[in-house]
Amino acid sequence: MKKTLVGLLALTLMFSCKNSEEKNENSESEKQEVNVYTHRHYESDQELFKKFEEETGITVNVINANADELIQKMSMEGEQSPADVLITVDAGRLERAKSSDLLQAVSSEILEETIPSHLKDADNYWFGLTKRARVIAYAKDRIDESELSTYEDLASDKWNDKLLIRSSGNIYNQSLMASIMVHNGDEEAKKWAKAVVENMARAPKGNDRDQVKAVVAGEGDLAIVNTYYIGKMLNSEDPEEVKAGEEIKLFFPNQDGRGTHINVSGAGVAKYAPNKENAIKFIEFLISEDAQKIFAHSNYEYPVNEAVAPAALLQEWGEFKEDTLNLSKLGENNKKAVMLFDEAGWK
Amino acid sequence: MMKQAGSSNIFSLKSRLKRLKRDTNRWSIFTLAIVLFIALPVIAIALKLLEGPGETWWHLVDNLLADYIGNSFFLIFTCSFLVLVMGVGTAWLVARFEFPFRKQLEWLLILPLAIPSYIVAYAYAGVFDYGGSLELILRWLSLEFVRIDIMNKFGLAFVLSISLFPYVYVSSRAFFLNQAGNLLEASTMLGVGEFKSFFRLMLPLARPAIIAGLILVLMEVLNDYGAAQYFGVNTFTTGIFRAWFSLEEPETAVYLSALLIFIVFTLILFEKWQRKNIRVTGNKASGRNHRKSGAKPMQWFKFFLVLTPVILGFIIPVGQLIYWAFLTAEKVFDLDFILLSLQSFGIALITSLVTVLFATLLIYFAKWSSINGIKSISRLGILGYAIPGAVVAIGIMIPTLAFDKWFINTMDTVFGVKTGFLFNGTLVALVYAYSVRFLAVAYNPIESTALKVSNSIPDSSKMLGVGNFKTFWKIEFPMIKTGILSAVILVFIDVLKELPLTLILKPFHINTLAVKAFEYASDEMVMEAAIPSLFIIFTATIPVIFLNRLLIKE
Repeated sequence: MKKTLVGLLALTLMFSCKNSEEKNENSESEKQEVNVYTHRHYESDQELFKKFEEETGITVNVINANADELIQKMSMEGEQSPADVLITVDAGRLERAKSSDLLQAVSSEILEETIPSHLKDADNYWFGLTKRARVIAYAKDRIDESELSTYEDLASDKWNDKLLIRSSGNIYNQSLMASIMVHNGDEEAKKWAKAVVENMARAPKGNDRDQVKAVVAGEGDLAIVNTYYIGKMLNSEDPEEVKAGEEIKLFFPNQDGRGTHINVSGAGVAKYAPNKENAIKFIEFLISEDAQKIFAHSNYEYPVNEAVAPAALLQEWGEFKEDTLNLSKLGENNKKAVMLFDEAGWK
Repeated sequence: MMKQAGSSNIFSLKSRLKRLKRDTNRWSIFTLAIVLFIALPVIAIALKLLEGPGETWWHLVDNLLADYIGNSFFLIFTCSFLVLVMGVGTAWLVARFEFPFRKQLEWLLILPLAIPSYIVAYAYAGVFDYGGSLELILRWLSLEFVRIDIMNKFGLAFVLSISLFPYVYVSSRAFFLNQAGNLLEASTMLGVGEFKSFFRLMLPLARPAIIAGLILVLMEVLNDYGAAQYFGVNTFTTGIFRAWFSLEEPETAVYLSALLIFIVFTLILFEKWQRKNIRVTGNKASGRNHRKSGAKPMQWFKFFLVLTPVILGFIIPVGQLIYWAFLTAEKVFDLDFILLSLQSFGIALITSLVTVLFATLLIYFAKWSSINGIKSISRLGILGYAIPGAVVAIGIMIPTLAFDKWFINTMDTVFGVKTGFLFNGTLVALVYAYSVRFLAVAYNPIESTALKVSNSIPDSSKMLGVGNFKTFWKIEFPMIKTGILSAVILVFIDVLKELPLTLILKPFHINTLAVKAFEYASDEMVMEAAIPSLFIIFTATIPVIFLNRLLIKE
């Protein structure tokens, strides 16, 4: 037993030494690298990073964590932070990173020309990579499409006990609330949230997929979800999830008005990025047509690069009008949105 | 002395200081040094309290605090009850009775510890889900499906209890095996029945061991984030994350943490207070523990009683995970998992050895120090367990970053050498953080075995002029070996499962299975998380079986 223990210990030490050696080599031969702090934990991203390494010879080092924690980490590390690129799954937290003075403005023709202006920061501190819409999934056997219209309509009495939506701790709900605040004012938004809480079929819990399953199980009739989760359900390995995905239909709200609320997954260059050039190259690569195809097809997100068509499934859902509110507004109003949620009793 | 008692305060303070000076030896200083080292992150967070709460503090008090307190206390009481019934009950049955498959069940009962509780939560949600395993099975049996909603606070209490009860099982079984023999023999000879001697004799005596396990469970319960968040139950820990990240106010989060620590500290004081009444030392069981056999039907009944928690805590969740793994294997599995498992294994091994070393030093240095009260101070070292992993990570980063930045600056200005961080983003900070977080896990089993060693043997050894270390090595260490090894294994398993702290502090090139599982689960790919979860369970199972062997041998 002792021998095995010693052996294992030696093995581990070897591993750790190997790692530190690699690091040393990096600094000695000035090997090109880019350090990425990312909240995106998708297989498709790993595929993309590998592709970038092959094409440019720049090594991609990744730390995966929640964006909040990554922002905290960057702010504590300060000037010595190794981070080059911060990637989040929503615009709100990119805006927070910007206002916490953690990002820097970047001038890149490719980025500025390719990305529509409402999907990036006005001062070029961050750039959207992919879009996702927050839509209504409804039970196709119980609800007729004509009954649905806007987010605001979800507060109406006719949906009493019919609505399924996850907790207010979720960033996508916070962003939706922020957009309603900007469009209708804080007071109206709070009233809306209160009425939505009244209409909930059950206390908020679970994730977006769980809301859809609850609709299919008959707990409620409507669920508010992000589009790409539906894409993933329909292509799930679990036949029961696929079945659930087929039982519902999607509705894109506010088509006659401002358009459907969208959010982006996006990236910014860290203020103290040790490899700034590589960081820019990296983000440019992520919005290139090849990379955007991978995003679109494996993860069912809408590409920001308009030259790339969305996945076939998304095309089936049809084109829709999107809310062109500049996404920075979502970040600016995020904290207020959470407080209004609390006051409205949205758990 | 008599005079002193009547004299002025200043005088007595002076004499106290004198006594303190007289009694201070290097062991006291070493103890303080270790406590300081371990408590540094906690202190760093405590200092933040001085900055005052953020402006959302009152918003939080008005709207959310009642809910946090209510739910957290609901969990404390419900989980305590469930865990005690399952943990102590099964420990008693396997220690006292003979029944079919007892030996196998003895180690199977520890296995629920191998599964991170948030994974158990996901697995159970998957079982009871629409189109979940239960519905599929019922459909196959062509039975009516009644949907049971498990995603609420009752379900959360169940999930946490079922995955944490082994802490109580392990500590109380060790007691029953070691101590029960003699005492029970005596009580049966006096004609006291089995039930009565359990409630009147064994339970009161086993209390310190049981409570020690229970405290660990409660700290884990209060600390849970993943399961509570998924089930939509707001607790202190979900509140800390909300204050910190959604409300963007770390100051307010720190205040919530302080409240949480206060609750935990009260629990610890309560344990200390109740331990004072009972002291169990010496008396190593001399006779062998004879298990009663009883009639066959009763034996099978006991078998099923003991089997139930194993089914609920291990077989059902693992079964669900295996089903998911089967569905996703093609997509998820690759050889990297082997490497990942080795890395996780190595990190957990190094950390558990370091943490146990700290815990042992802390306990024995405090013992060798002659200052009264240093023991209470040494217990401060275990506070880290009460603090959510993410908060510990921040507590670690405050002092180590200050040092790292100073180091980089000095190297640059004085020697003109460009260097990187010495601690942050390296294994050192990670292992340090784990040690702070899990010291309590190591401290308890070592302390409780150390308490059982009577002082007379080491005392006589020291009187013969043998030094502290040599006495420890030659006499005490062999006697507390089991405690130390259990500590190593428990910390090992905890590190393997640990998530939030690892996420924040892990170096670039290193990854763990728990992080991999989280990456999937956090993106609503719960099924894909099954394979890394199974690897965690598999890696943790080996030491669990080993732990069991060890406890039995003893």
